[in-house]
Amino acid sequence: MTLLKREDWYDLTRATNWTPKYVSEDELFPEEMSGARGIPMEKWETYDEPYKVTYPEYVSTQREKDAGAYSVKAALERSRFLDNADPGWISTMQAHYGAIALAEYAASTAEARMCRFSKAPGNRNMATFGMLDEVRHGQAQLYFPHSYTRRNRQWDWAHKALHTNEWGAIAARHFFDDMMMTRDAIGVSIMLTFAFETGFTNMQFLGLAADAAEVGDHTFASLISSIQTDESRHAQQGGPALKILIENGKKKDAQQMVDVAFWRAWKLFSVLTGPIMDYYTPLEGRKLSFKEFMLEWIVAQFERQILDLGLDRPWYWDEFMRALDETHHGMHLGVWYWRPTVWWNPSAGVTPEERDWLEEKYPGWNDTWGQCWDVIIDNLKNGKPELTGPETLPVVCNMSNIPIVGTPGNGWNVKDYQLEHEGRLYHFGSEPDRWCFQVDPERYKGHLNFIDRFLAGHVQPPDLMGGLKYMGLAPGEMGDDAHNYEWMSKYAKAAS
Amino acid sequence: MFSRLKQWFSGTENSKREGKGSAMATQNDDRLKNNKVGPVLRSGDMADAAVDAAEIDNPGKEISVEDMRAYLRISTDGELILKRETMEECLGRPFEMKELEVDLSSFAGQIDINTDRARFYLNTAL
Ligand SMILES: [Fe+2]
Ligand SMILES: [Fe+2]
Repeated sequence: MTLLKREDWYDLTRATNWTPKYVSEDELFPEEMSGARGIPMEKWETYDEPYKVTYPEYVSTQREKDAGAYSVKAALERSRFLDNADPGWISTMQAHYGAIALAEYAASTAEARMCRFSKAPGNRNMATFGMLDEVRHGQAQLYFPHSYTRRNRQWDWAHKALHTNEWGAIAARHFFDDMMMTRDAIGVSIMLTFAFETGFTNMQFLGLAADAAEVGDHTFASLISSIQTDESRHAQQGGPALKILIENGKKKDAQQMVDVAFWRAWKLFSVLTGPIMDYYTPLEGRKLSFKEFMLEWIVAQFERQILDLGLDRPWYWDEFMRALDETHHGMHLGVWYWRPTVWWNPSAGVTPEERDWLEEKYPGWNDTWGQCWDVIIDNLKNGKPELTGPETLPVVCNMSNIPIVGTPGNGWNVKDYQLEHEGRLYHFGSEPDRWCFQVDPERYKGHLNFIDRFLAGHVQPPDLMGGLKYMGLAPGEMGDDAHNYEWMSKYAKAAS
Repeated sequence: MFSRLKQWFSGTENSKREGKGSAMATQNDDRLKNNKVGPVLRSGDMADAAVDAAEIDNPGKEISVEDMRAYLRISTDGELILKRETMEECLGRPFEMKELEVDLSSFAGQIDINTDRARFYLNTAL
């Protein structure tokens, strides 16, 4: 028997729209869930997904992917990699799993929204597979860290983090809720699958895989790069939706969705991916700097694709380009300084050799962030560790929910972008963060970031211990310096 | 500890933020001006075969390969084709185009894939 080629029958079987007789089209596809934006059904039927797959193909391919990732895990289990891994790398994995694993499960719900409510049959078909993909990502990224939970309680945060009010978890949840849990089907296809998955997930799942392979963690490298093969398929749901929006006079809407999602993803990655690539990953394992990976994946690849699909650069492009040399250094300094408030042990990453590397990758580093680290190093050298920990609260952005940072030292430019809305004063870390709020204040106005909650009396007692309790961080979970300050010996020696 | 909210920032609203990065930002921007397309494959047999196949299936074009140890980025300008038959020859075993997905972690440009070939392309040239 000769099998037909997929392209000879696919279009016919995918055409699953029908004319409803018992309910109206609006009841079948409510606007708030479908997001058709006034574009008629027949236009959505022209949706042509570029990366096609059928159910039998999907099952056999996914089986092969899982067999690969799980067999690498099983084969390397006895290599005791983790016993000898640099503590900075352990922190990298703990930060990754906590911020990502449950968000993957949530992404399954977002895919399910497209699967049920998109008016485009092709979108519904691909989202069926996307939904299954995200279950795979959630399960694998809980299963792998679960085998480490007997080592210490911080591994438990792979599952626990997004259930808590830890500040980073609030930031991640606010972002993912905004991009994927509270958008209509077309919004999800643009903001989650196009803006986030075509672009930023490459940073965390391929850039970081390159670092993982370099430090010898082939289990992690294999798992996350395998996950990304699902992403590269289901991320292709946004492109055809964009095309239909643009063809039907909705370019402005599409551009705005992409610009909001892009900026918000950038800010989340500046606190998650930036520090782990440039400070936690052991020096010899850093394949590229965070900025170099951003230039590879986000500028050269993703933004180029945005232009090719007929959208423009985001209006804040110059500020984004400028911030590539700045934001994540500030985030790292903040995370290390407020280290009891995270579920991993931040690596300082500022030995003399690491500083040389930072100066090479980011000329001027020693003159700016270096000056702050000099003070921390002096305090540690002079036996005053209490001066290197949190005394006060940072000002936190009401959009990104992460601290407001800028360049310190000789390049000082730290600034609070404020907005008064309905009698409440909001603080933002940048003009684009404030703009995200301004284009849809109803969506964001009620949210309280960690500092708002503190000032509103939710945190009791209102001190560090109360704050840690509110964040769900018990002893054994809260972070401290990854290397137990052993890196300071390099400075003690230099002084003597 | 942790009891007072200190305003540790200064500066005014509505003025454009400047930093030492302004000159570097222009350099960063240069990276956008490219027409590179092609697959990013997890390292292994399939990636190696795709490197060979890319040379065969895109005659006259310069194929660049960046080896990042965890993945290989294979690219050329404008359009890159990988044919099923060529992949089969390079792998030395039967190959179906859908198998590419097992290792296709990402790609530059847009994708168009059917039973006989995968094609990576851009509509516009910069
Ligand atoms: Fe995922
Ligand atoms: Fe995804």
